[in-house]
Amino acid sequence: MFEPVSSSLGILWFGYATASAYARRDSAVSSEANALREAVAGVVVNAQRSEVLFGKTAAALSELYSIAAQCSQPDWDGAGALPVDLASLSFAADFIKLIPSSLPLPEVTCDPDGAISLDWMESKIRVFSVSVSPSGRLSFAWLDGSDRGHGVARFAGDQIPPRVLEGIRSIVGYGDATLAA
Amino acid sequence: MATPPSLLDETVADGEPLARFLLSSSHFNSRSVKASAFLPNPTDQESSVFRHGGEPREGLWEIAKQEVAGERTVHGAGIVIAVQVREVKLAVNSAEPPDRHAVITDWPWFPSDPDIQKARQKELALILASQAKLVMRY
Repeated sequence: MFEPVSSSLGILWFGYATASAYARRDSAVSSEANALREAVAGVVVNAQRSEVLFGKTAAALSELYSIAAQCSQPDWDGAGALPVDLASLSFAADFIKLIPSSLPLPEVTCDPDGAISLDWMESKIRVFSVSVSPSGRLSFAWLDGSDRGHGVARFAGDQIPPRVLEGIRSIVGYGDATLAA
Repeated sequence: MATPPSLLDETVADGEPLARFLLSSSHFNSRSVKASAFLPNPTDQESSVFRHGGEPREGLWEIAKQEVAGERTVHGAGIVIAVQVREVKLAVNSAEPPDRHAVITDWPWFPSDPDIQKARQKELALILASQAKLVMRY
C-alpha cells in the first residue's frame, strides 16, 4: 500500500536505514552538517510513523540521502569541497520524484560546491548531467559522442523543464530530438 | 627551468598523467569516473591533481594518504593526461608543495551568473571524465 510521508524538507520518502544511521551520528563539524542531520532525523521520525514505498523512485531517494550523508562534512573530497546544501538536496529529491516512470533514474553525485548532481550515464561518451543549485536553478551539460553542450533552466519543484527532460531522453535513447546548445 | 622539490620539471609535459583522487563513492561507478570528480574547488576554482600515472600503485595510494585523505577512505583515482586537459582550454601547472602536486586551472569563470558558470564547467568536466582512466584501490 502506498502512502505519502510528510517531512520538514518536503521530502516524501527516502532510504530508511541509511537515514536512520545518519541521524544517529554524534559528531558534526559544521552548522550545515548539524542542520542536515537534524532535518534527516525529522524525516526518520516521519518515516517511522508511516512506511511507504514505491519501487525504483524509493531506491533513488535512498541513494540520494546516502550520498548526501557522505558529503555532509566540509572537505569531504579532500580538496576543500563544501558540505551538501540542504536546499539543493530538497530540490534534488523533488526532481527525482518528478522523473517519468518511462525513464531510468539517475546516479546521484555530490559536487564540490555543495550542490547535488544527477547523472544519466549510458556510456563514457553519452552522459547527461544536471546540477541542482540551492536556488532551484538547474545547470546541465551533456556529452553525446562528439556533440556536447550546456544550459541553465529554472526548476520550481513541480515540473521538470521540458528542455531538460528532452535532453535526458535523447541521451538514454527514448527521445528523437537532437540537443542544441 | 626551475625544479620543484620533487625533482619533476616545473612545466607539466603534455604526456604526463595526472591523478585526481576519489574520496567519495559518488564520484565513480563500476565503469568510469564521473564529471563531478573533476569540478574545481568552489573557493579557488582549481582542481587539485598529482603527477602520477597510477604505477606503482603503492606510490599512488601513499600520496593519497599523506597529502589528501588522512584517515578518510581513498576509493581510487581518475587519471587523465595533461594534453587532454589542455585540449579543452584548461591549464595545468605544477603547484608544489606537496611533492608532485599540480592544479587544473582556467575553468570558466562568470561570477555574475554562477549557474551558467557551473554549466560550462560541467561540460568540460564531462569531457575530462570521458577520457579518464578509473583506477580502483580495492
